[in-house]
Amino acid sequence: MESNAGATETRSNVTVSDGGEVAAFESLQFTDEIHRLISAPATDNASSFTALLELPATQVVELLHSPESVKLIVASAPNVEDFKGSFHFPSNTGLIQKDARFSVFSGEGNNKNDKSNSPEMTSKNSSANLEKAVKSEPAETASSLPLVSDPTVENRNIKRKDREKKVKGSTKKSKPATNESLEDAEKLPYVHVRARRGQATDSHSLAERARREKINARMKLLQELVPGCNKISGTALVLDEIINHVQSLQRQVEFLSMSLAAVNPRIDFNLDSSFTSESGSTMDGGNFPSLVTPLMWPDVQVNGYRQQFQHQWHFDTLKQPIWGREEVCNNYVTPENSLLSYDSSANSAATLHANQLKMEL
Amino acid sequence: MNNPHHLNPTSLKSRFTTRFLRALTKIRAQKPISSSSPTEIFRRYRRIKVAADKSMAYSVRSRRIWSKAMLWKLRSRSYRRQDPCSGRRSGKTNQAIMKKSSNENTTTRREDGVGFVEEADELRQLVPGGETMNLCNLLDETAHYIKCLTTQVQVMKKIADFYSF
Repeated sequence: MESNAGATETRSNVTVSDGGEVAAFESLQFTDEIHRLISAPATDNASSFTALLELPATQVVELLHSPESVKLIVASAPNVEDFKGSFHFPSNTGLIQKDARFSVFSGEGNNKNDKSNSPEMTSKNSSANLEKAVKSEPAETASSLPLVSDPTVENRNIKRKDREKKVKGSTKKSKPATNESLEDAEKLPYVHVRARRGQATDSHSLAERARREKINARMKLLQELVPGCNKISGTALVLDEIINHVQSLQRQVEFLSMSLAAVNPRIDFNLDSSFTSESGSTMDGGNFPSLVTPLMWPDVQVNGYRQQFQHQWHFDTLKQPIWGREEVCNNYVTPENSLLSYDSSANSAATLHANQLKMEL
Repeated sequence: MNNPHHLNPTSLKSRFTTRFLRALTKIRAQKPISSSSPTEIFRRYRRIKVAADKSMAYSVRSRRIWSKAMLWKLRSRSYRRQDPCSGRRSGKTNQAIMKKSSNENTTTRREDGVGFVEEADELRQLVPGGETMNLCNLLDETAHYIKCLTTQVQVMKKIADFYSF
C-alpha cells in the first residue's frame, strides 16, 4: 500500500536523526508521498489520512513543509510497528509542551483497526503538534477558513472528540489507549476541531475557543501598537504595559492642554493669524506681503476684543469678531497644513511677528 | 518654504486639528487677555482639555464605542451645567441604560476563561465606555483609542511648540 511504502520511507528517514536538518530531506520524500496519498481516493478506512488530505490538500502540503509538522507526519504515518521506536519523537520536538489540542485528523490517522494503541497516541501527539503548526499557519497566512470546521462536520467532530477524550493518558507520553473509541471516527472527511484535552467539547466551548483566538489576535495587534511590548511574554504583563501606555498618553494630553492654557494669550492671537498667514505663505511659496498684511488686521481686532471684554460679557457679541476671524482663517488653505508641516519657516514667521508686536507696544 | 508633506484632508489628524484649532481660538477669544491667575489658567485648562477630547471624539463620530461614550459623557456634562433638570433626566436615563447593559455584560466579562480580569477592569476604566464591553471589543477599542490618543498628543505638542517658541 502506498501508506506502507511511505512508512518504510519514513522509517529510514526517521533513523537519520531527529534534528531539523532532516526536515528538508524528509519533506521532499513526504511531498511525493502526500501527493500520492492525496490523489488516491479515500476508499478505505485506513486511509483516512488521505481523506483528511483531500480537502485542505494544498494547505496541508504547505503545512507539511514546515519542519515540525514534517516530524509529525513521520510519526503519524499509519504503520504501527515502525513507529513504536519513534515514539520519543514528539517529545523530542518539544512541540508538545502544551497539552494538546487534538485535531480531528489525529483521529483519522489512527483508524486502522489493527493498530495498537501506541501509534494512536503518537499520531495524536503528532496531530497535536501538527495542530499547533496548523494554528500558527493561519495566523500567518490568514487562511483560517479551511481550518474552521463546518457545522455539519463539527457535530461529528464533537462526537469524536468526546470519544477521544475518553482515551486517557497524557499527550506527552505515548500510553496505550483504547482502540475502539478512535475507530469510529474515521469517516470524517476533515478535520479540525480543536478541543482542548479535558475540556468540554460542546459547541459552547468551541465558540469560546474561537473567541479566545480572536482575543489573542487582538493582543498581538496591541503589542505592535504599544512600544516595548514585543519582548514581554505573558498576556497579563502585556496588558499592564498597555494600561501604562494609555495612562501616560492621557497624562500627556492633560499636560499639553495645561501648557496651552498657560501660554501668553496675546501672542497667541497673533499666532493664530500667523497660522493662516503661514498657510498662505507656504501655499504661495513664501510671499512676504501676505505675511505682513494679516498682522495689521489682528492688532486692530485685538484692541476691539479688549473693549468688548471690558464692556460686554455676552457671548453672542463676542462671537461676532470670532466668526470674523474664523472666516479669514477659512479663506486660506486650512491652517493645519501649515501646522502639521511645521518647519523652520514657521519659526521665522512667528519670530517676525513677535518682534513687530513688541515694536507696536 | 513649500510644504512637502501634503496631508490627507480627511485623515483623523487633519480632522482633529481643524476642530481643535477652532475650539482653541474660541476659548482664547472668550477669556480676557490679561488673565494669568492660576484659577483662570485652570479654568482655561479644563476647557482646553474638554475641547481636545471633544474634537477628537467628533472626529471619530460614532464609529467607535469609545467615541460614542465620550461624546455622551461630554454632552451630559454640558447639559448638566446649562440646565440641571434636563441634565439629571438625561443623565438618569442614560445611566440606567449603561448600568443595565453593564449588568448584562458583567457576567460575560467576569469570567472569560482568559484569566486577566483585573487588568481588563483597569483598562475598562481607562477607555471611555469600557464598562460595557466584553474583552474582545475592549481590546479593539483600546487599539483605536491608543491610535487616536497618539494623534492627539502629536498635534497638541506641535501646537504647544508653535506657541511657546
